[in-house]
Amino acid sequence: MGSSRRLGLLFLAPAFVMVVLFFFAPTVLTGVFSFTTMSTSTGIYGGDYFVSEDALRRLASEGEDQLAQQLAGTSYKIDSAGIEAVRVGEGGAALADEIAATLAGQHFADQREAERAIKDLNSRPRSIRALKAVVEQFRRSVAGARFADKAGLYAAVEGAGITLDEAQKEALAGASWSGWHWTVQNFKRMATTPDNARILINTILYVGVTLALFHVGFALVIAIASHYLSETASGIFRGIWLLPRITPSVLFVLLWKWLAWDTGFISRIAALFGAAPRNWMLDTAAHAWVFVVLINGFVGASMGMLIFSSAIKAIPAPLFHAAEVDGASHWQQIRFIILPQLRWPILFVACYQTLSLLASYEQILLSTDGGPGRVTEVWSLAAYHSALQNYAGNLLYGYGAALALVLVVIGVIASLLFLRLFRFKELVTQPRIEI
Amino acid sequence: MENRKNLRPAFWLLALLSLPLVLMYGYLVLDTVSTTKPGALLPDHFTFQHWRFLWERDAQGVSIWSVTLNSVIFAGSVTLIALSLSLTAGYALSRLNIPFRRHLLAMVLVLHAFPSVTLLVAIFIVLQMIGLYNTLIGVILVFAALQLPLGIWLMKGFYDGVPWEIEMAGLQDGASRFTVWWRLVLPQIRPAIAAVGVFVFITGWAEYVTPQVLAPSGNTQVLSLYLAGLISNDQHFDFALFKSVGLFYIAPVLVFYAFTHKALMSIYGGGTKG
Repeated sequence: MGSSRRLGLLFLAPAFVMVVLFFFAPTVLTGVFSFTTMSTSTGIYGGDYFVSEDALRRLASEGEDQLAQQLAGTSYKIDSAGIEAVRVGEGGAALADEIAATLAGQHFADQREAERAIKDLNSRPRSIRALKAVVEQFRRSVAGARFADKAGLYAAVEGAGITLDEAQKEALAGASWSGWHWTVQNFKRMATTPDNARILINTILYVGVTLALFHVGFALVIAIASHYLSETASGIFRGIWLLPRITPSVLFVLLWKWLAWDTGFISRIAALFGAAPRNWMLDTAAHAWVFVVLINGFVGASMGMLIFSSAIKAIPAPLFHAAEVDGASHWQQIRFIILPQLRWPILFVACYQTLSLLASYEQILLSTDGGPGRVTEVWSLAAYHSALQNYAGNLLYGYGAALALVLVVIGVIASLLFLRLFRFKELVTQPRIEI
Repeated sequence: MENRKNLRPAFWLLALLSLPLVLMYGYLVLDTVSTTKPGALLPDHFTFQHWRFLWERDAQGVSIWSVTLNSVIFAGSVTLIALSLSLTAGYALSRLNIPFRRHLLAMVLVLHAFPSVTLLVAIFIVLQMIGLYNTLIGVILVFAALQLPLGIWLMKGFYDGVPWEIEMAGLQDGASRFTVWWRLVLPQIRPAIAAVGVFVFITGWAEYVTPQVLAPSGNTQVLSLYLAGLISNDQHFDFALFKSVGLFYIAPVLVFYAFTHKALMSIYGGGTKG
């Protein structure tokens, strides 16, 4: 048995690694990322200390407006780095030595003062242009500069003649950091953005209506009808209704666009009755919703149809014969024989599809993309638009992760409940292929 | 049956509801080989000009064949990886002596119900961090991993159905567990391997969101992205071209489906995302 165990672990390991890498890690990381300010502008690798205008504005808004003003200005400091630059550059050794002897360590508040001081020296530059070049070597400004670490930032600020206390250091480092940092703002923002309330209601309505009408409702109709129809007819209908499932979503949505767009089929039919062509999918909010529900419903109905059909097939035929003999109508047979047998399959389909409707946005993305405006935006699509793609181009990874985290948490809880509810019982027997 | 007549309304109701699908798929085929005057309902000319994308490059200089090759590589690799990992892990869960088997089985089920598309935001960030963003290899690994829960579960079911006596006989003849699996068990479930393989291939072939998020541009473009890009380009609005590319795109799926539809129906009925 030892070899069986070793082989077992060996056989399981690759799949296990993949599951850890691409299920468990992302689940945890969604949570981690949702507590960061990651976005296109902060990047994801970290960052540097960038004393930009924005950073100074942030600093000023944090009560350090005096410091911000100082940092925004430039000053001139005669330090050894500048002297060395003069020695090898425009000024020459004589000038450098004289500056070192007479001016070392001095500060000048602006360019004019610094120029005056150097003009007074014996070995001063001949031309104005050379003088300016020499003075430029002593310009010490932090505005617009980037620093890899805090020490460099502080040193540069000191170099510009500004002394910082500890609180100011912290404030400056915080305001100028260009990378991401930890935050709980994403969740505050999620809870307070008024749009999100609408998106939440959209999501609930979309899932509820699509599920009731198509994933369960229409799936039941077609499964029950094909039980009574002839073998050929029911086979044809089931074949037709499986097409949406095997059709790639890009193509399936394209076919709906061909129906609905202003040069499309519906417009052409309507033109026969004198109606002007219009985009039936996107012209009003109501139409957009109708198409979103139809497109998703047509795709989703097939799963329920297949499960319900096989559940009906499993009902012993004598039950139906007895019912016919007793004169039960079709309706009575459905009501008293079929529906009671379908209780578990219906529950299964409803739970399963609720989850996948909540999470998937593929068809909406391809058809209305949440439009017109943001009328058909649902929660999962909002996460996609925040973190992965939008027209503004500034992708808020952190905020998007927070939106996705809601769905991940619902998904984890629901799928755990799922296991409880169906207790292997339904699921264990379900995925079998008859060949 | 005497009350077959009562079924007429049901039949016509179904037919009516199915009409959009019949129209859409009917015109999908019709429009690719014909031209229709603006506003007319029926085509008036037979033509192959909508298919010229097969031998001409498009405005961006992209050939459909290089995109198709990407799709084949993507769906093929995903199938290979997902299938081989499901075959081994499924066997371990079905037959081999491994610790925490019940928990692992429960985990596979929970993962199968879990909507994995919600993880894409995190996966997107991670792929950028490790430099696999916008590469085929990255999106292949991710998508193959996402197919595993269903694959493992299906495979476990097939192994459960293989009579234990076959393995017993092999072991008694002195073969190792691995040899028994490779030589005796795998041949038993060959049709199942084919069915799951076709299923995963079709799923990968049709997938849009994962490559769109993880490998959206350049040389990694797959057919779904190519077609979506074509449609969203406002400059060249040509439904007949879209449909021709679309028919080209769905053709392999239809072929596979025609041969394996019975087996596929059971997998679809067993619960897949959508």
